[in-house]
Amino acid sequence: MNGLGKEVTIVMIEDDEGHARLIEKNIRRAGVHNEVVPFTSGTDALDFVLGKDRSGMASAGRFLLILLDLNLPDMSGIDILQKIKTNTHTKRLPVVILTTTDDEREIQRCYDLGANVYITKPVEYESFAHAIRQLGLFFSVIQIPESQ
Amino acid sequence: MSSAYEAAKPGGGMPISNAAFVRSTIILFIAGVFALLGIVGTSLWLVGKVQSYFTGFVEQREARRASADLLSILKDAETGQRGFIITGDPAFRAPYDDALRGVAEQKQAFADRLGGLPEYAGDAERVQQLVVEKLDELAGTVDLMLQGRQAEAIAQVKTDRGRMLMDEIRDRLGNIMDDADEQLRKGVVDTLWSAGALQWTTVIGAIAIITVLGGAIIIIVQYTRDNLAARREVELLNATLEKRVDERTEELIRANQEVQRFAYIVTHDLRAPLVNIMGFTSELQASLAAIQSYVLADGKTPSEADILEARRAAGEDLPEAIGFIRSSTKKMDGLINAILKISRDGRRELKIERVNLKNLVEAGAAAVNHQVSEADGVITIADNLPTVVSDRLSLEQVFGNLFDNAIKYRLTERPLRISITARNAGRAGFVIEFADNGRGIAPEDHERVFELFRRSGTQDKPGEGIGLAHVRSLMRNLGGDIVVKSEIGQGTTFVLRLPPDLSKVVRSMQA
Repeated sequence: MNGLGKEVTIVMIEDDEGHARLIEKNIRRAGVHNEVVPFTSGTDALDFVLGKDRSGMASAGRFLLILLDLNLPDMSGIDILQKIKTNTHTKRLPVVILTTTDDEREIQRCYDLGANVYITKPVEYESFAHAIRQLGLFFSVIQIPESQ
Repeated sequence: MSSAYEAAKPGGGMPISNAAFVRSTIILFIAGVFALLGIVGTSLWLVGKVQSYFTGFVEQREARRASADLLSILKDAETGQRGFIITGDPAFRAPYDDALRGVAEQKQAFADRLGGLPEYAGDAERVQQLVVEKLDELAGTVDLMLQGRQAEAIAQVKTDRGRMLMDEIRDRLGNIMDDADEQLRKGVVDTLWSAGALQWTTVIGAIAIITVLGGAIIIIVQYTRDNLAARREVELLNATLEKRVDERTEELIRANQEVQRFAYIVTHDLRAPLVNIMGFTSELQASLAAIQSYVLADGKTPSEADILEARRAAGEDLPEAIGFIRSSTKKMDGLINAILKISRDGRRELKIERVNLKNLVEAGAAAVNHQVSEADGVITIADNLPTVVSDRLSLEQVFGNLFDNAIKYRLTERPLRISITARNAGRAGFVIEFADNGRGIAPEDHERVFELFRRSGTQDKPGEGIGLAHVRSLMRNLGGDIVVKSEIGQGTTFVLRLPPDLSKVVRSMQA
């Protein structure tokens, strides 16, 4: 996965450490070797992506891909999505929603807010691993824009 | 603990039921009738007594007069006789003649008057004999005089027989008259007593009737007032029925949404550890394959890569997978227990009693006193916290949770301030505000904090995200609600609405 020849960092916002580990394992199996920065809470993740002042300047010049779970303990993933997509510096960052929810309205809402991909985590592990590996393959071919 | 509240007694005054009203009216009516009958009977009896006294009075008077008249006429006769005998002048005989003419009538009158009075029977009979004898004696002497035998007449008088007869007559009649006087005096006393008794009977009767009437009036007035109040309540209920239907519908919609949200949260939160368990079980299997290819090599020399793989599986992958499976099952167990707890609390039978909120909140504050003083904190509890009829245990849990939250999410850079105030919001019930100066809650999380397993802000404190969900379900169980007003960095105010009387809410739910 490239961003103008630079290494892309995958920001994984996932409160469940088990899920995070499984996702990382399967992405690796797909041959993706980019750095994965995991966050278990929305606040920490936003601190990283938008900076403590939430201005978004922290991400200027970075190549990030965001993997986002919707159900977080401290804030809703929808809020995080909205914050990232309404910030001028981070609005072009690709956001992949990876969550257990398959609620129709939730999916629509995420795309409305600018989510790039929405994937439901399958409970059955074979499907889960498969989905993540497919996602990994997808990661390996897409281009990521630089944050401004 | 105060005594259990009797839910069945509405309001202050005891209303009169129809049966009780009819019963008490009939009792009063009967009492009134008896009082009246008593008064009439006593009055009749007393009047009868007065009449009989009066009759006796008249009889005694007549008897006395007849006796006096008889005595007087006999005296006249005697006077005439004496005068005639002394003077021989017929002019002196006139009183005798007059008396002689009237004496028979007087004697008859005397016999008549005293005939009906047995108490004088002896004296009366004797007097009549004496009168006859006296008249004989008088007639004897007068006859002698008429024949010119004056000396014989005088000798006759001198025998003293006439005087003794007259004395006895005077004594006997005197007795009769004295007795009659005594009887008359007694008659007057008796009559006066009867009149007094009649007066008292009338007064007592009047008091009894007034009491009965007053009681009847009070009961009727109260019954009418209760009826009016009941009618007003019915009218009010009718008037507000539509509004209440709307409210109820809104509550139902809200409850339905809550159930959906709850189901969503529960399925999501239960699904997450399940994904882990299934995932790491598969990973475990994969690791096992690597170990098997090394351990069960059966004489074949395992390749360098196999050894490395097996070592990594045994050293890292297996413990990691087992660790995650264990923590996920533990998490599932925790979630299920939390759901059970909330469900149990929802089904717990409420014990409705009088609860003094001020005492309850003070007790809650005392329980966290140690932590509060460690944080340089001050808890201010308003004096006007009301006494409500509600479930004590639920309210204790509500305020206990709120105190814990206020302490847990305080801002360390300033001393903790907690204040609890109350106001009466009329139909909406009491509104209690629980305010702190802690870190606050972001506006988008104002609803979310009440959701099960959801938390807000930096996750730097331990917790499962149950407390406020629990508080809200408790408050709704009590017919109230809880919402939050908060600004990040300023503090948080939980606004609790509580009906003053839960038993009424329960009743209106059943209605």
